Amino acid sequence: MNQNGAQINFIEDEAKYRCQGDWTVLALGNLSAKFRGAWLPSSEKLVIDGKEIKKFDSAGALALVTCVDELKEKNNQVELHNFSEKQNELIDLIESKKEAITYKIPAPEKKNILYQIGKESENKLIQADGLIILIGDLCVKFFEAFGNWRRFQIPSIISNIFSTGIQALPIVALLSFLIGVVLAYQMGLQLATYGANIFIAYLSGMAIFREFAPLITAIIVAGRTSSAFTAQIGSMKINEEVDALLTMGLSPTELLVLPKVLGLLIVFPLLIFWSDIFSILGAMIMAKNMLGIGFDDFLQHLRDSVGLSQMMLGIYKAPVFAILIALVGCFQGFRVQSSADSVGSQTTKSVVQALFLIIIADAIFSIIYSWMKL
Amino acid sequence: MKEPVIEIKGMKNYLGGQWVHSDVNLTVEKGEILAIIGGSGSGKTTILRSLLMLLKPTAGVVKVFGEDLSDLDSQQAFQLRRRWGMLFQHSALFSAMNVLENIMFPMHEFTNLEPEFMQELALLKLALVGLPKEAASKFPSELSGGMQRRAAAARAIAMDPELLFLDEPTTGLDPRGARLFDKLIVFLRDSLNLTIVMVSHDIESLKNTTDRVAFVGDGKILSVEPIKKLMKNKNPLIVDYFSGH
Repeated sequence: MNQNGAQINFIEDEAKYRCQGDWTVLALGNLSAKFRGAWLPSSEKLVIDGKEIKKFDSAGALALVTCVDELKEKNNQVELHNFSEKQNELIDLIESKKEAITYKIPAPEKKNILYQIGKESENKLIQADGLIILIGDLCVKFFEAFGNWRRFQIPSIISNIFSTGIQALPIVALLSFLIGVVLAYQMGLQLATYGANIFIAYLSGMAIFREFAPLITAIIVAGRTSSAFTAQIGSMKINEEVDALLTMGLSPTELLVLPKVLGLLIVFPLLIFWSDIFSILGAMIMAKNMLGIGFDDFLQHLRDSVGLSQMMLGIYKAPVFAILIALVGCFQGFRVQSSADSVGSQTTKSVVQALFLIIIADAIFSIIYSWMKL
Repeated sequence: MKEPVIEIKGMKNYLGGQWVHSDVNLTVEKGEILAIIGGSGSGKTTILRSLLMLLKPTAGVVKVFGEDLSDLDSQQAFQLRRRWGMLFQHSALFSAMNVLENIMFPMHEFTNLEPEFMQELALLKLALVGLPKEAASKFPSELSGGMQRRAAAARAIAMDPELLFLDEPTTGLDPRGARLFDKLIVFLRDSLNLTIVMVSHDIESLKNTTDRVAFVGDGKILSVEPIKKLMKNKNPLIVDYFSGH
């Protein structure tokens, strides 16, 4: 045991408790629990001797007062001996605050399940309401801006294009390339068994142009941009910057949301095209190595059997994805409350919701395309 | 011989391309309340940060509890950090925890006290800083600025430190709240045998609480004396500082 740990020992022949060691918050350990568990005398005149206490702080004083109370409960008379003036002052201080110390914190009220369901539904409705208001506000600001070009916040749009587009180029390229390689490899295994090697261009081209390139781009952008929007607007909100804009009579929607939405709208189709290039490159390299199809053959077949129209079908998804990602990111940013926790939870929500909505939107696109027999 | 709690000798600090301190010398005795004042940008907070080991001084010796901060290993530094408490200017309460959990947090981390005792101890600190007991289960965001400051003070004294640092403790409080906080500072010093070092601009608060005041200017400590004497000091920088009063 720690040599300097606080101790209290009963010396039976002298009817005396002897306190030893450091009675400080660090050295106290479970002293009061031990004391409570030990045998206690009853109806006696007892002395507590503090002569050998080395250090004594408010935690020690509280422990001592607890011990004295335990003894008094058993009808003992307790006297404190050899405590210094400072120590006695501390003990008196604890005694005077006793009412506050014994306060029992009321357990939080348990709400029944119906209440919780109702509350949660209300929250969701309020959230939906907020999103609709944001969309409406955004549309109004967008059309108003046509009256005055400066209100489009061109510099801000450009900086958004840089951070959400240009800086995302390497990661989009790398992941797209890998997806192209993997896709061609899987298809190549099947095609080779049928000797239909040349169809690799058609199959991988269709899959990449229509689904993989738009989706992989959207997932990367949702991960890096939607979270960035939320964190940025969220910390501005905590820092009262959003309120500052409002009090100046400026619109946070116009200054913060509109440039982000427009920037992403401009850059998203380009990112999908970029992803198309690298996915096809990956597929092409794999086709050459595995199936022995040359680059010329691959590209010619790609143009003849897949063509520009299929690539455009993928790029048409861009505006929808861009608006979803930017709106969800900004909206969750505005919902941040004044705490560090809140920034984290809203950022998580924004990424999850953006991904969720992207996949829903992609499914809807598939349905629409199949109706239109594209 | 009684050892000073804090001893700074010839401390220099070079920050952001300029010398913030050229030669700082300061000693703080046990049990006193010392305030560090000076114009904005004079490096008051930098002195505090150097003392708290948040910043390594460019040159000079800083001793706290007689130990030189520059040659402590991590274990010693850890031991030393438990012996002081800091009250930040913006309270810096953990927003994800309620007040009681905030106060109990350092106890949880450093001690093996039983939970009931820990809670009683936390409630005691809450009572010592003058917060109503109902505040225990509230979250920092539900408290007013003054109450947050008190809750932060309760957390700062949770581990019964021997030394307490306060960074502008009364800034942003209403006059009545500020005077009550002054009383709290003196009360804590008297009842818990603390040594208190604070940075403050509140002249009223300095008059109410401090034993000595150190004036920082020109990268040096220009004078350390009781506030009444300091206000009569003829040094032009000090005269300028008090010119509004």
